[in-house]
Amino acid sequence: MALSRSMRACLHSGRLALLAILVSGGIVLQVLACALYNNWWPMLTVLMYLLLPMPLIFFLGSDTSSMMSTGGDGWVNFTKFLTGASIVGSIAIPSILKHAGIIGWGALTMELSSFVVFGVAILWFLQMNGEDEYSGVF
Amino acid sequence: MDNNNLLAAWPIVAPGVAGAVFGAGWWFWVDAVVCSAAAVPFLHYLPGFFASFAALMFNCVSREDIGDSYYSPYDDSEWRVKLWLFISYVVSFVSLAGAVGFLVQDALTDSGPSAWTGTAGVLQCVFVLVSGLIYWTCHSED
Repeated sequence: MALSRSMRACLHSGRLALLAILVSGGIVLQVLACALYNNWWPMLTVLMYLLLPMPLIFFLGSDTSSMMSTGGDGWVNFTKFLTGASIVGSIAIPSILKHAGIIGWGALTMELSSFVVFGVAILWFLQMNGEDEYSGVF
Repeated sequence: MDNNNLLAAWPIVAPGVAGAVFGAGWWFWVDAVVCSAAAVPFLHYLPGFFASFAALMFNCVSREDIGDSYYSPYDDSEWRVKLWLFISYVVSFVSLAGAVGFLVQDALTDSGPSAWTGTAGVLQCVFVLVSGLIYWTCHSED
């Protein structure tokens, strides 16, 4: 099915809007997890969320294939390492807070769902970027 | 078919997996320290730190430095690389042994850290070393 150019542009901006909604939903869940229980400890997870998209921020602008290529540039590998560590950290910090009894089940659930929402948004963004590469050249 | 794809994708995801495993190791330790009723003495932190240091050490050498394909009669620096690797192995095994020793001590005595602290220490050591190994497999595959 060949979409006209304007249709494709409309779909693209629609997808971007959905992506933005997802990210803001994640932020809302994160803040709610703290505000509803008047306990601001879960905000520590934000530290991990800052580390998570590092490979994207640093390397997506230059050349997407450098991330997916096997020839590991040292810095690309290191940012992937940071991403892996921050993914585990985003799950670990709420779990540790729950284990120590500082937050309850509701806050833990909201934290974890905020993490899942962010993960889906990032994966979808990566997929969208990959698609653009193929359809970009006319 | 699936095995081939997995093998091809490994160098791409290996640093991420290594980071995840490394993080898991350290976060287990943080959990044990935070949830410990008794204060954890500084000595118990050491196996984890030394394991991380050892993982860093053996990631400093690339595979080609120790390969037999690189031969030069004027180059006698191979022994330095091997000594570096040997020291990193010694440090990692000693830290692992220390972690296991602390686990045994924690399990046997009632005063002091609980058995979970000792277990987390061993898990931390193992995960950190495994993470170093995983990272090593990816960075020299060119």
